[in-house]
Amino acid sequence: MTAKFLITAFSAVALTLVTAAQAQTVAIMNGRVHTVGGSGVIENGDVIMRGGVIVEVGQDLQAPPGAQVIDASGKIVTPGFFAPFSSIGLQEISSDRESNDAGPRDGFVLGAALDVVDAYDPSTTLLSINRAGGITRALSTPQNGEHLFAGRAAVIDLSGAPQSVTKAHAAQVAVLGYSGARMSGDTRMGSLAVIREYFDEALSYTADPRDYARRYHDGRFAITDLKALGPVVAGRQPLIISASRASDIRGLLRLKNEYRLKVILLGGSEAWQVAKELAAANVPVILDPLSNLPGQFEDLGATLKNAALLHGAGVKIAFYNPPGFGAHNLRALPQLAGNAVAEGLPYDAAIAALTINPAEMFGLQNQLGSLQAGKIADVVIWDGDPLELSSQPSAVFISGRETSLENRQTRLRDRYRDLSRGDLPHAYRGKK
Amino acid sequence: MKTYSLAVLAALTLSACTEWSANKDTPSDATTSSNDNGSKKGAVVRPPTDPYPSTYKPYLSHTTLLTGATVLTATGERIDNGAVLFIAGKISAVGAADQMTAPDGAVVIDAAGKWITPGIIDIHSHLGVYPSPGMASTSDGNEATSPNTSQVWAEHSVWPQDAGFTRALAGGVTSMQILPGSANLFGGRSAILKNVPSRTAQGMKFPGAPYGLKMACGENPKRVYGEKGGPSTRMANFSHYRAAWIEAAGYKKKWEDYFEKMEKGGEDAEKAEPPTRDLKLETLASVLAGDININMHCYRADEMVQVLDMAKEFGYKVTTFHHAVEAYKAADYLAENGVCAAVWADWWGFKLEAYDGIRENAALVHAQPNSCTIIHSDSASGIQRLNQDAGKAMAAGANIGIDVPPEIGVKWITANPAKAMGILDQTGTLEVGKMADITVWNGNPFSVYAKAEQVFIDGALMYDRSDPARSPRMDFEIGQEDNGFTGGAGQ
Repeated sequence: MTAKFLITAFSAVALTLVTAAQAQTVAIMNGRVHTVGGSGVIENGDVIMRGGVIVEVGQDLQAPPGAQVIDASGKIVTPGFFAPFSSIGLQEISSDRESNDAGPRDGFVLGAALDVVDAYDPSTTLLSINRAGGITRALSTPQNGEHLFAGRAAVIDLSGAPQSVTKAHAAQVAVLGYSGARMSGDTRMGSLAVIREYFDEALSYTADPRDYARRYHDGRFAITDLKALGPVVAGRQPLIISASRASDIRGLLRLKNEYRLKVILLGGSEAWQVAKELAAANVPVILDPLSNLPGQFEDLGATLKNAALLHGAGVKIAFYNPPGFGAHNLRALPQLAGNAVAEGLPYDAAIAALTINPAEMFGLQNQLGSLQAGKIADVVIWDGDPLELSSQPSAVFISGRETSLENRQTRLRDRYRDLSRGDLPHAYRGKK
Repeated sequence: MKTYSLAVLAALTLSACTEWSANKDTPSDATTSSNDNGSKKGAVVRPPTDPYPSTYKPYLSHTTLLTGATVLTATGERIDNGAVLFIAGKISAVGAADQMTAPDGAVVIDAAGKWITPGIIDIHSHLGVYPSPGMASTSDGNEATSPNTSQVWAEHSVWPQDAGFTRALAGGVTSMQILPGSANLFGGRSAILKNVPSRTAQGMKFPGAPYGLKMACGENPKRVYGEKGGPSTRMANFSHYRAAWIEAAGYKKKWEDYFEKMEKGGEDAEKAEPPTRDLKLETLASVLAGDININMHCYRADEMVQVLDMAKEFGYKVTTFHHAVEAYKAADYLAENGVCAAVWADWWGFKLEAYDGIRENAALVHAQPNSCTIIHSDSASGIQRLNQDAGKAMAAGANIGIDVPPEIGVKWITANPAKAMGILDQTGTLEVGKMADITVWNGNPFSVYAKAEQVFIDGALMYDRSDPARSPRMDFEIGQEDNGFTGGAGQ
């Protein structure tokens, strides 16, 4: 049954992630298990994984013979956390162009066609550093240059393995609101007009690519961009689109209806004012739950209650770090979730926002996001409440393999614990 | 365990009055003072030290007893089932709840289950100078037109209507230092404010607080000025600093020579002309005189140690390294030189000089004897949760066996920044006689779920989470139809 399930489940996934030979059989016993599935929270619960997949979740299970048994009494077990928006894997140092591929400089010709898979680097130190904070999957997202469409994002795992792209072309990324206006003659009228023109051209292109190519003349949109927008206008590929102001969000909903798009709203500091419409249109929101400043006129309604209000209205939510710090500190997502809880978001909804909700947003709800038999074994054992500042993972499994919690930062820490002169300089000390 | 003697700290924080600058007792608006003969001709001209004086006055407070709470005094003490009494805006008693009685007519607040700390203090904020909304027309935080702008004063940019002040208040923040930005080697003077809304910046200025000077190491100055005539290298950063200190020493000497002549009297005094004032050099000379605290933005450990040598070369003191992401690599140097490290809990990697940031940084600095750890924000969002940043840094310490209990960790966001800002004699701890700057939390403030419930500043209740009438709302935010929500501070 398991094998058959896997074949169907993985057929939608661009690059395969697990081979049975790689991963151990592991039995995590007696933890407080947040399944984020039908079983809710299981006290003294067990999770058994084999071949990279969860095979059983429940109480009083038998550890399979030969399994590595982990006593999780007093600990919390959750699905690995899923960061739904960051440029992880595309940058080592944000402000240095030499080490940042997240987005093109101004003047670069392409937008929608850009594909993070072409730049994604699983050797970046950001993976192991954030993995140690319980993050196991992420959407690696391109950043806009001066095109409204930034390009195609991919779901990746944080194992750092050479093949760690879970799903390529998981979403297209675009901007509305002030950021979009700035790229479109400095007016929102411009950005909406340009986006519609893109969609119309993409529809025209996909209807008959050869005919379109015959009629095509340079100087308008790049054909490769239009080609990349094909799955978006066909309603197959989600479009993550940023907007803050309530009226911009309503405009986005109109756009969604006009073109039958599958939309995920990013930012949405005033989304709570449009919560019912968002819920009715089945538009999820990726938000920064700490956003509460009127940073621009479009953010006048920003409030710490945004997450709780959206959830209350039936909107699916997930969290992202404020721009600028996103990729390096994905490990702060549990803290963001904790803050949302302190402002009224139910605890279980906060855990869902870190797990199943992002998996659903990118069509991976059958593979990821909960602890259920048949799912990929992304599992984290926490030494306390995962949302609490004092907690940290004691073990992180990605696709059933236990990952190292050491990283460049722990090496630096260990090297400089002792500042005394010693027999040799610090450059000779500690692990490499 | 480190505890500070109040007396020692008071001595550290009192600004020395020097010959060249006006005596602090001089009325603040006086630009001249008469010498003995009283003749107009012989008057000694002194540069004013406080031409934009604080007009802050505490608001109405009631004698109040907060009782039954866990009290963190920020002197290293934790009192379970403790109480704090304040009268006329000053702390009048701190101790066990069962040993404290409320004076007649006092407001008694049952704070069972609550935690009480001194008001939170942020040593590194740009509120008011980079306000919300953050538009080109409000970007007043960085005079990035010359690598040395010691002549600018942050208070002249502070917009008191910044909504960020209200959000910080809901985060328990009662005082902060507003700094100019870090594009420049010398960025300008800081403003130390009480977090009480006012129509004017002067109305927020912390009475008697000394000035700080913002300086910056490393990447920012060379990036900003690399193609604008320099500095374009770290070595040029230093050559510019040193040239400025040499010039400032000369300027200071000119004034001292002038004062000396005037003091001696006679013919020399008759002929003496005061030097022409130079705002840039006046600030730098005040640093050399020990009247202004140095706040130096410096990420890399090797650069911090270079700066410490420079300070010795010119005879001034660095008070605090800000954004000291690599402080853990030079924590011994910092402690030996009595310099504070102001750090974030976990920011890293946004530029190369921040690449080696680690979460244990604060704890490793703290572990040195006689060290001074500060958690700072540099962010209108971060200032709302300095308690959480401290909580993260404390947890990181605990993971490597550096135990920082709440009664110690609280100093990182209260007493230590107060010390570095020169206001510890007035605030930053819960001690008798100090300003009643107090934050009441709904639980352990180092939990992610903690919220400031009440914030008292000089004993006045400036924020109450459960009372919209005690939640300030800036002009910019009123009358915005449909955008009003929880209102003001707690938005």
